[in-house]
Amino acid sequence: MRSWLRQPGLISALPVAAFLLVGFAGPLLMVIGFSFMPPRTFSLAQAPTLANFTSVVTDSYYVSFFWSVSLAAITVLLLLLVSYPIAYGMAKLFGKWANLVTVLVVIPLLVSENIRLFGWVLFLLKNGILDGSLKALFGLGAPQILYSVPAIVLGLVYVYLPFMLFPLVIGLSLVPDVLKEAAADMGASRLQIFREVELPLAMPGVLIGSMLTFILALGSLAESKILGGQAIVMIADDIESAFTFAQNWPKGSVLSVLLIAFSGALVFFLFRRVDLDRIIGRR
Amino acid sequence: MFKSKHTRRNFLQQTGAFAAAYAALGALPRVARAAREKELNVYCWEGYNSDDVLDPFRREFSAKVRAEGLTSDPDAVNRLRAGETKVWDLINVNNPWAQEMMWPEKLIRELPRDRFEPMFAKMMPQFHPPYPWAMDKTGKHLLGMTQRFGPFSFVVNTDKISRGMAEDQGFKLFLDPKMKDRYGVLTYDNWNIYHMCVTADVHPFRKHTKQEIEAVGKVARQIFNGAKILTDDLVQMNLALINGEIDAYFTGGTYTASPARFDGARNVRGITPKSGPMGGKGGIVWIELTSVVNNPQVSPLAEEFLAYVQRADVSKKVAFAEGTYNPVTQMGDSAVLSKFDKDELDAIQWDSLEEEMANSVDYDINPDYAEMYDLYSAAKREREA
Repeated sequence: MRSWLRQPGLISALPVAAFLLVGFAGPLLMVIGFSFMPPRTFSLAQAPTLANFTSVVTDSYYVSFFWSVSLAAITVLLLLLVSYPIAYGMAKLFGKWANLVTVLVVIPLLVSENIRLFGWVLFLLKNGILDGSLKALFGLGAPQILYSVPAIVLGLVYVYLPFMLFPLVIGLSLVPDVLKEAAADMGASRLQIFREVELPLAMPGVLIGSMLTFILALGSLAESKILGGQAIVMIADDIESAFTFAQNWPKGSVLSVLLIAFSGALVFFLFRRVDLDRIIGRR
Repeated sequence: MFKSKHTRRNFLQQTGAFAAAYAALGALPRVARAAREKELNVYCWEGYNSDDVLDPFRREFSAKVRAEGLTSDPDAVNRLRAGETKVWDLINVNNPWAQEMMWPEKLIRELPRDRFEPMFAKMMPQFHPPYPWAMDKTGKHLLGMTQRFGPFSFVVNTDKISRGMAEDQGFKLFLDPKMKDRYGVLTYDNWNIYHMCVTADVHPFRKHTKQEIEAVGKVARQIFNGAKILTDDLVQMNLALINGEIDAYFTGGTYTASPARFDGARNVRGITPKSGPMGGKGGIVWIELTSVVNNPQVSPLAEEFLAYVQRADVSKKVAFAEGTYNPVTQMGDSAVLSKFDKDELDAIQWDSLEEEMANSVDYDINPDYAEMYDLYSAAKREREA
């Protein structure tokens, strides 16, 4: 028998590999295949063309890409600002109460995202919970942010908070307190300890959280539809419309391929520059 | 030292067990096929998937019925195209899809005319047989059964904009500079394109000149740039209308206004313009058609279900299932009509239905949809928020 056939690991992995090939790589390859088919066709058995790529570049899809990338970047920055103190508390200060915070953050995940976002609509609506309560109590209404870009950002930050928070908690728990104490003993200021000791050591969590939330926000759709009143069109919305109302699978495929390529390139570039194994191993 | 638990002997045993499991899996489809006598899968707009409609059928036919709600006609047809003809037995979409797409693409089967045509004779007069949308283009094959229908143009808050004024102005209402930021756009994209044609004084359901298509693109920009909210959620749109965020929404009708009206908001009203570019008419009406899917193992219960939903009590349940409330063609039969009370008839605007139908043309295919859609989606993307 050949040597590779005698390796139980390889043989055991074969069913999973086959499953991944059919269930994960297969659909991706089909999307790539469709992107080269003539516009508004439903079969892969045609002469390939670049017409869809040309039309996507010449049309104004850059607007949707711009909004998706910008809002994803803003979301990541805001999430870092909001989550870092909470994560710090959970990793270093709260002790047994950290579990309670974890439960409080996780419980909303059991409710459908659309329902949670619709809850925000009722909260922010004109004469809704916030506006109505403020009017009743103080005679002054709340600023109207519903159906605008800030409402979309609020939705993105709210929905993706756990995906930033938990990697940050893990990242911060990788930072040994003795190193910070040592830095303080050697005269480092609090800012210096944060910048030169804590942040670099917590970087795996920061990077994984940022990457996760950036990619999720990039492909998001519900926030702009429900909270934003489609004040802007995200790229995922364009993709959905191309596959459904436009009945143009090849165009939807091109937009998907471009989004996947962009996300893939970003992850590849970042993880080429930052070696997570090395950072974690440095502990 | 790591010692592998795998020996040649147990590897053979495992392989044997795997092969047996695989063989058992292979037998499953045969079991499933045999069980399809008592199984029915329905892919439909919300309403037919309500337990009020399905449970009595399940009991009467001892059937296992699975129903999934669809959210757009093109999406549903896509899924059949993508191979789900093997999954579904019935599909319920709007009128043009069966005749124009699903029948030519062999996604649906024909119905026996002798059994089902007499049921059309009991419907409202405009649906009597042979009802053109239920037939293929040759008029020989019966492609489905009608039930729910409704005028679909736009919706206003009558406390802010009177019904008379809205009907007289028609879609031009949305081009009035005074309406800027006072209306929403319900993003049922295919409907919006038809209604933007009407707004641009262009008949949506015939071949268009380059100038006409450009005029529709221009109207799309005007409508989007003046809108306060865009959403594809009718509940959200009604809520915005009731709360005073907006005074009207572009694309809507009995289907979208009825849930709010039935909840007591009678100031929410679907409007059908009194005049327009479609032979003088300015409104459009949709009619659902439920067809048997061309499933290689189609359930014999598919036709039974089509006959079952024609019954008076079930027709009423279909009209008033959860979600939205709509007139049904079976209301031509007094036995069905008598099942609706005053509030229910008011929710579906029964008082003006005949007049609205007379001012509307039937939903159809727009031959220049693809070209108009590109202009429409660009206008939406480039909207001045």
